[in-house]
Amino acid sequence: MIDENLHWVLSFYRSSEISGALFFGELARILRPSAIQQDMTRHFADEANHARYWTDCLQSLGAEPLKLGRVYQDQYVSAAGMPANIMEILAITQVFEKRVVAQYSLHLKTPNIPTEVRETLDKIMDDEHWHIEWIREALIGMQDDYGEDHIKETQKRFMEADREVYKKTILEHGQRVGDLRLASR
Amino acid sequence: MNNKEQARKRIGEILEQAPEAIVDDAVLTSLVNSSFLLVELVIELQEEFDVRFHQADMNEVSTVGQLIDLIDSRMKP
Repeated sequence: MIDENLHWVLSFYRSSEISGALFFGELARILRPSAIQQDMTRHFADEANHARYWTDCLQSLGAEPLKLGRVYQDQYVSAAGMPANIMEILAITQVFEKRVVAQYSLHLKTPNIPTEVRETLDKIMDDEHWHIEWIREALIGMQDDYGEDHIKETQKRFMEADREVYKKTILEHGQRVGDLRLASR
Repeated sequence: MNNKEQARKRIGEILEQAPEAIVDDAVLTSLVNSSFLLVELVIELQEEFDVRFHQADMNEVSTVGQLIDLIDSRMKP
């Protein structure tokens, strides 16, 4: 039987990927045809697939997904204010994607990681790196419109918010992610 | 239909709310059930009306009337 903390962590990943898919899917629907719309659509599809991978992973470990409430990225708005335009959406997404990569990398270092979890993380990581890359390029492409300094300031604001949200998450769920934190030392 | 009426109609459609709920003093957060939906509303309105909002704008907007005024002020005559 799967460890209770791992059960929660994998369900947390799944919920977060579902929320990402729903949000990016809605944005892909809303945006006008453009390179950003195209990449956003692929990003949405990736997140939906990741949710499926975690669901399958939980099942292969003999567990069902836990129904969790508020996901990590829900807390960004209260921490940093609402993103006001598409540049701010991309800036906050880039910060979040970097957090995801850091979290998944940390998880990969966990001792005695189940094979199913390792394989799922490996499968997802390539996509996550692409997410950071396409958004980085899109933000560079927006420099003429929004100003390089303004984009950097926006990224900084969301990075500070992310640090606050991460700290709060660790305080709230420290015991559940304890093994992951130990692995990082 | 003028810009403000168009914006009000569209807000109602996006939020799937009856037109009578889209009154000027309605608080935006009371019309949506998640912060994500509010973000989607703001982005969709910018795309449709071809306007751009900034963080400082959003700090000043909490009601439907303020959002409609913001859209109207950014639209080209």
